[in-house]
Amino acid sequence: MAAKTEIRKKKILIRTLMYGAITTALYAAVFSHASSITELFAKGGFYAALPIATVFIFSFAHGAFSSNLWSVLGIEAITKQAAKRKTAPAPRPIQKPRARLRMSA
Amino acid sequence: MIDHALDAAKFIDLTWMNVSFLFIVGFIGGLVSGFIGSGGAFVLTPAMMSLGVPAAVAVASNMCHKFPKAMVGAYKRYKYGQVDLKLGIVMAASATVGVQAGIKIQELILNKWGEAGSNLYVSLSFVAVLLLVGSYVFYDAFKTSNSEGGDPVPKLARRLQSINLPPMIHFKTADLTISLWFTIPVGFATGLLAATIAVGGFVGVPGMIYVVGASGLISSASELVIAFLMGFGGTVKWAMHGMVDIRLTLIILAGSLVGVQLGAIGTTYVKENMIKIVMGTIMLIVAVSRALAVPQYLNQLQLMDVDKFTLSILDMVSFATMCLALAVGAVIIIGSMLKGRRAEYAAQTSESYEHV
Repeated sequence: MAAKTEIRKKKILIRTLMYGAITTALYAAVFSHASSITELFAKGGFYAALPIATVFIFSFAHGAFSSNLWSVLGIEAITKQAAKRKTAPAPRPIQKPRARLRMSA
Repeated sequence: MIDHALDAAKFIDLTWMNVSFLFIVGFIGGLVSGFIGSGGAFVLTPAMMSLGVPAAVAVASNMCHKFPKAMVGAYKRYKYGQVDLKLGIVMAASATVGVQAGIKIQELILNKWGEAGSNLYVSLSFVAVLLLVGSYVFYDAFKTSNSEGGDPVPKLARRLQSINLPPMIHFKTADLTISLWFTIPVGFATGLLAATIAVGGFVGVPGMIYVVGASGLISSASELVIAFLMGFGGTVKWAMHGMVDIRLTLIILAGSLVGVQLGAIGTTYVKENMIKIVMGTIMLIVAVSRALAVPQYLNQLQLMDVDKFTLSILDMVSFATMCLALAVGAVIIIGSMLKGRRAEYAAQTSESYEHV
């Protein structure tokens, strides 16, 4: 059990370092050419795709890094089932009397 | 850090002070958003403007950081089983219509009373909505914390859920069935408020709790889905006008992506009504902050006579109060997380003693 926990901890640490390195490289790439990139991304029109794609890439790398970072620091979610609440009974569809065919002689 | 000079009218120079300030505000904003589903945006735009960023660039850069932050927060809370994707999408669809209506109202006011009139309308909406909704959320949180029966479905929501008005929609995660016609006004109001004060969640989350009948946990998590969809749409519009300063966006994002995950984790440590307490507290403090900004606009419209010195003091106090709202929210979240963690640790320790 303890060995398993150790392996898990090691895996998380490796992932944190890996995503940390990717995130650092991404920030370094943008901020080393900050002015040119800022101007290019603010050209408008179809260039709008550039800032949007950038924030998606950053949120993937940096998001994964920070998620693993909190785990390394021992801050993880407590998994507990949310208590079921009393809700109103689902309304029933209005019952209409079935149409009958009347046969008269 | 700078390879060549940028257009000074549009882009500010970055100093370490600016970067640190935006990173910290981004982190706290992210923490609050991850916990209550919204927040942060109302401080970030004025914070950027206080650094000299033009209003349009501040709004656009803020929005461009908001949607990926909401996406990461929503993903995290989805993993905890707190997100009702269908509820988020249904609400976001009607919120889009609300945004358009909000923009039209803003345009009408701007044409009739100019910029000061528009600012006054925004501030008065802030004060009225936040005081009304914030007080009720706070009162309800206080009431449920004193009752022993947990967090029951509000009376209004229970009544609405029992009305059979097709099309009826079942929300699986929220575990409720309600007519689409009752979700539309909530989504619409969320969009309307988002277009007016930039924080739709202050109506969206209470609306989902008290009108639709979802729990605080589900509502705040599903609000992140709405924030993602609406933020994405808004960003496309602003980016097409070339208003996004990617440097500012990435700095705030760096802080908020760390904060939003902590906020999301925090929801698993605390009791459900803590979300209402944090939300109510922030809303009431923000209402005070916006009330302090009202004399400035009344003065511009020549409806009130206030000297310049008093106005500048009021402006400063208003901004400081807004930052205080965010800080108080963050302190309550971290405090309740630590309390929840200690309780969990104590429970685990006593359990292991029982097994010995």
